[in-house]
Amino acid sequence: MKLAVKSRLLAIAAFLFLAARPLCAHVGSPDVYYEGDSGPYHLFVTVRMPPVIPGVAEVRARAESGDVHVIRIVPLRLTGPGSNLPPTPDLAQASKDDPQFFTGNLWLMEEGALQVRILADGAKGKGELSVPVPSFAQRTLPMAKPLAGLLFGLMLLLTIGLISITGAGAREASLEPGATPGPTNVRRARIVMAVTIAVLLALLYLGRTWWGIEAASYERRVNFYKPPKAETTLENGNRLVIRAQANDPRWSARINMGRVIPDHNHLMHLFLISLPGMDHMWHLHPARAEGGAFVDDLPSIPAGKYQIFADVVDERGFPWTLTGMAELPPISGKPMMGDDSSWSGESLMATQAHSSLSQLPDGTQIVWDRANGPLKSNVAMDFKFSVQNKDGKPVQDMEPYMGMAGHAEFVRSDFSVFAHVHPSGSVAMASLELAQASLMGDASSMPAGMVMAGNTALSRPLPPILSFPYGFPRPGDYRIFVQVKRSEQVETGVFDAHVD
Amino acid sequence: MANSIPVAQPISVRIADRVSAETMAIPWYIWCCLISVVSAVVGSEWDISWHKSIGRDSFWTPAHILIQLSGVLAGIACGYLILWTTFNKRSPLRDVSVSMWGFRAPLGAFLCAWGGVAMVTSAPFDNWWHNSYGLDVKILSPPHVLLALGMTGIRFGTVVMILAEMNRAQGPYRAKLERLLFVAVAFLMGMTVGIMQELTNRVFMHGATFYAVMMFTAPIVIAMMAWVSENRWAATIMTAILTAVHLALVWILPLFPAQPKLGPVYQHITRLVPPDFPLLLIVPAVVFDLLRQRIGTWGRWTQATTLGAAFFASFIAVQWPFADFLMSPASRNAIFATTNYPYAVPPMSPWVRNVFVPTEASVGEFWVRMATALAAAVVMTRIGIAWGEWMRRIRR
Repeated sequence: MKLAVKSRLLAIAAFLFLAARPLCAHVGSPDVYYEGDSGPYHLFVTVRMPPVIPGVAEVRARAESGDVHVIRIVPLRLTGPGSNLPPTPDLAQASKDDPQFFTGNLWLMEEGALQVRILADGAKGKGELSVPVPSFAQRTLPMAKPLAGLLFGLMLLLTIGLISITGAGAREASLEPGATPGPTNVRRARIVMAVTIAVLLALLYLGRTWWGIEAASYERRVNFYKPPKAETTLENGNRLVIRAQANDPRWSARINMGRVIPDHNHLMHLFLISLPGMDHMWHLHPARAEGGAFVDDLPSIPAGKYQIFADVVDERGFPWTLTGMAELPPISGKPMMGDDSSWSGESLMATQAHSSLSQLPDGTQIVWDRANGPLKSNVAMDFKFSVQNKDGKPVQDMEPYMGMAGHAEFVRSDFSVFAHVHPSGSVAMASLELAQASLMGDASSMPAGMVMAGNTALSRPLPPILSFPYGFPRPGDYRIFVQVKRSEQVETGVFDAHVD
Repeated sequence: MANSIPVAQPISVRIADRVSAETMAIPWYIWCCLISVVSAVVGSEWDISWHKSIGRDSFWTPAHILIQLSGVLAGIACGYLILWTTFNKRSPLRDVSVSMWGFRAPLGAFLCAWGGVAMVTSAPFDNWWHNSYGLDVKILSPPHVLLALGMTGIRFGTVVMILAEMNRAQGPYRAKLERLLFVAVAFLMGMTVGIMQELTNRVFMHGATFYAVMMFTAPIVIAMMAWVSENRWAATIMTAILTAVHLALVWILPLFPAQPKLGPVYQHITRLVPPDFPLLLIVPAVVFDLLRQRIGTWGRWTQATTLGAAFFASFIAVQWPFADFLMSPASRNAIFATTNYPYAVPPMSPWVRNVFVPTEASVGEFWVRMATALAAAVVMTRIGIAWGEWMRRIRR
């Protein structure tokens, strides 16, 4: 808990950090969803990340067209040494029921920013696609009691068995056939068994110590990749200063916050979401300051508790989400400019956790084209939204918002899940740019929904329908913020969903 | 023949011994244990080569099946032998067996069964380890050490089983068993030396740690072999078998195609990567045998000091300059296979650049560790002598 107080002319603001939540890195949503083109083939890719590293990732790829014959998959580093030295690709297996659905497994051997290359071959020739994947150890697995009991029993059997074997050997192994052991043999056996017990106890102790060292080493790796804490202070009444404070002291030595790379035009995407009902949300873009800090002159914000999520991408292409919680005083700030945006509305608690229409302030609306039936966790979905005018007709004034057709944030009611998703999926756009660059400048593999600066698409309206590939990682109640830009105004639609 | 059998022996044993001696048939359980050992040896080397060449695997690779087959075969064969000896009152093995927990069987059978249980235990332990801490592809981890202990138990049990039979036999049958003993002990030594292979790469051969590791693992088995056998060249023969098997692996494994399935791929691999060229243990083994023939009447500690020091000195004398040769372009061919880099070894690593890696921080530390290696050679030789003398007395 940290209380930071500074004063100048205006009222003192205090940020009270309650606690850093024990969230998983990338905040509870480790799987990767991606939609893009592998040459002439449009693919929807899901990478189920393993909970431990090294571990086996499951890759699923669905081709939109029906002319893909073969898909091969291969992992490699996203940047740096080895990023151009892939192993032999694996053949993904086509489903018997759906020949355009391919699945395969990949061993991810190291933590950090990796990529999965998808090589498609079909009627239109060959294509290649790169999906950046953040690889990290997510958890430690306690041993289940039945297995622990089994292994403990076997350990006892092996230990007592070896003591008995050495005793039997010392007592009888040298006897002539048919002879029975005498007192000397028995005494010698007891001595040997006593020595064996001492040796085995020492070995068991050393083994336990070794196991403890290995477990501690692994625990440090898990902690390293837990979301760093966002330490914040408020200066001059409305200037928010954010610093990363990781769980592992080695984090600051290896991750240089002063060298994070731009992620769709901004070094940091800061989300302030009011607690507990998410009835206010700000999407801001702090600037880099000295010493790896980030600062933002906040807009006017009512007093209250806020959950903080701050997305950055390090220089290797690994996405980090800083998390924290702060209690803000009332802030009278500057008007929002540029790509900053906000939303205020009903609390998640006050809804039925099921909504498919979000009314916008100007009378237009965003409609979620959701399938019938309950939403399921761990199912890859294409979240489709259409922006309509008051009459229910598609709007014609859609513009790129930070280079894309739209942004969506999926937040679980307890804030244990946060995912900043784009039309190309859950990958960070900065990581995606590094992945695309590694594909030798294949322009055909531009991420879905991403609009390049200077592209003619900028000069004409974007389609009013947008989609986000994603899957809810866990059951629960979620709030989805969908953000688009129309006539130079950022509009935010909000949808609530209950997931089974 | 009958006069050589103690009168105290029951008639069933006398009949069994006479039948064995006459037919010169190696008992089925010895063959089972030897097959189990060979299965583990081939499986282990194949698995290590697999990880160097292809990288990833599954439970059902041929190498893993061979390793598990070793534990299962030894466990079932010796389990059956234990039950058969215990519950069959007319079993000829009852009087040449030891008792434990109410069961009766030759000591080697209990050791092999223990090894089989240890190997089988390591499987769920290793599986849990992978699920908890990741898919390790290194040799030294707690579940792998348990597996190695199990394999060692089977190899040692096989040695004991052959020895018990051999020590009761005479003539051609004994000679036949002794030949099997050479093979079994060679595999046992392959286990003790092989488990340390991450520390015995050629880049470490000009450091004292390498020699310390070797002195802690090799002389004990060499001395045991020499003391357990009546053959004057026992250590040489056993080491020659180990070297021959190792050479066969060096030359045969690259005949099979392989492609890396993990990255980054720093080395172009098209064939299975073989193990490193064998260490020149054959030379100190010859020196050991030659010297032993001349100092056989000396005291045990004096013999151990002389033989251990000679082993240590002769090993350094040949391995140190041979390491220079292994680093030279002249060794980069199919015979010495010094370009056997695993796919994941970066081109700038000392191994690929053929540069020695110092394992001691200073000259002083080097000589301290060399002195430790010498002391280890003497002490381990003495332990090996005591071990061999005990093994020579084994009758059951």
